[in-house]
Amino acid sequence: MSVQNLEIVRSSASLWGGLTGARTLPTVSKLIDTSTCIGCKACELACQEWNDLKNVSTQSNGTYQTLPQLDAQFWNLIRFDERETNDGGFVWLMRKDQCMHCADPGCLEACPAPGAIVQYANGTVDVNPDACIGCRYCETGCPFNVPKFHEKTGKMAKCTLCVDRTSVGLEPACIKACPTGCLHYGTKDDMLALAALRVTQLKSNGFPNAAVYDPKGVGGTSVVTILAHGDHPEWYGALPPDPHVPWGVKIWKNIVRPLGFLAVAGAFVAAVGHYLNFGPKEVKGSSDSEANLPPG
Amino acid sequence: MSAVKARDRALDDAVVAARDREDVVIGNEIVRHRFASRVIHWTVAVTFFVSLFTGLPIWTPIFGWMAHLFGGLSVCRWLHPWSGVAFVVISTFQFFHWLSDMKLEENEKDWLGPGMVKYLKYQSDDSDVGKYNGGQKLFFFAASLGALGLLVSGLVMWNPELVGTILREAAIFLHDLTFILFVAAIVWHIYLGTAAEPGTFGSMVRGTVTRAWARLHHPRWYREVTGEDGGDRARK
Repeated sequence: MSVQNLEIVRSSASLWGGLTGARTLPTVSKLIDTSTCIGCKACELACQEWNDLKNVSTQSNGTYQTLPQLDAQFWNLIRFDERETNDGGFVWLMRKDQCMHCADPGCLEACPAPGAIVQYANGTVDVNPDACIGCRYCETGCPFNVPKFHEKTGKMAKCTLCVDRTSVGLEPACIKACPTGCLHYGTKDDMLALAALRVTQLKSNGFPNAAVYDPKGVGGTSVVTILAHGDHPEWYGALPPDPHVPWGVKIWKNIVRPLGFLAVAGAFVAAVGHYLNFGPKEVKGSSDSEANLPPG
Repeated sequence: MSAVKARDRALDDAVVAARDREDVVIGNEIVRHRFASRVIHWTVAVTFFVSLFTGLPIWTPIFGWMAHLFGGLSVCRWLHPWSGVAFVVISTFQFFHWLSDMKLEENEKDWLGPGMVKYLKYQSDDSDVGKYNGGQKLFFFAASLGALGLLVSGLVMWNPELVGTILREAAIFLHDLTFILFVAAIVWHIYLGTAAEPGTFGSMVRGTVTRAWARLHHPRWYREVTGEDGGDRARK
């Protein structure tokens, strides 16, 4: 997290203050066109290099994928899938897996550490390691399985949308590195317009189910993905068809917590009420001598 | 006269007896909880409250100020699972330490309903109450079950990568529900053990109660320990 305090619009576990909203910015977004990704992994390397992440040993699972899943030191993973289409065709699918920067972030919702996960006015969701306590609740809150626990630092780590670049007018490192132009960066409005154009192209080129993946269940994302097989998002590295903030997190925050307050407060009030109504149950008389037998 | 003897003379005989004996009458006092029982109880209590006060600031930022008691939220996050493990370990000792005294009797089965209401209105017939009453026994089993629930759900929350999302959510829910009920019960445990029933707190500190206390709250235990009638039956 860089110095972006004036741009924070949402902050984890913050009841009072902590938000300034002093600056308003247009929502930004990456646009990922999976139909033109060639799986070259230039974005993976650019991410590692710009964010100065330690080299992670690759783990082959028999495909063109670098690692089975994201890692605390690997924030950008090209997922690879082979699928048979309904008409007997066969496709290779690449999808850039990273933090989706949800408009309603489940990680931020689940986070109990004040200010450890913040959302900036431009839609970026960022982890503040100074405040992060490594409780891993965000792992449960994220519908995309993105935040990862760093064993050595005891903190969570994920894509920052290169906030240190975007805040000075540069595009994210992965966008800069992409050789095929399948990655774009700009305002979300611009990216959605570009995506709609590309989907129209795909539809007229033999992909009738092409669609934009900008799931409403999390309020939309600041990483918009074009899927040639938009009717099967799950084909693309287990992309959830309808992601949302987990019910467990919502129930905990909105139902169990207030009821818990009521239950414990009720126990206190009941105890005080009992004492006022019935008083202590004690041996009658002031002393405990043999002469003072309890009432029979 | 040796120094040791002089020291013992300055001590209350009942307190000395309470070091290692229980259910014995010393003068006007009866030893209710020997040293080992009290150590187990207070170790459970300390680990419980350390777990509670390190857990509450993580549960909600409203209790964030509690984190400062331990040196910050990061310390709480580190300490909470370990104090929780200590709580469960010592609760296990406690369970087996007291299990033989906690067998629910037939006439105590209504304690979850009308029995408890009658007791709290001081309308219950306590003449057949032994060393522990039905409420104490139910609390004992509820606390033990609660410790187990907190352990299982806590281990999942501590190591979320071992299970799927559904189980993680269920663990958070179970952990919350269990500790909320636990805290509500503890509020009453403390109330009944102090303000509501004078003399009870002393049994967990000194280890002893007065004869009169025993006759009032646990008449059958009084009769068993003293061999006396206690005046309770005779007055009917």
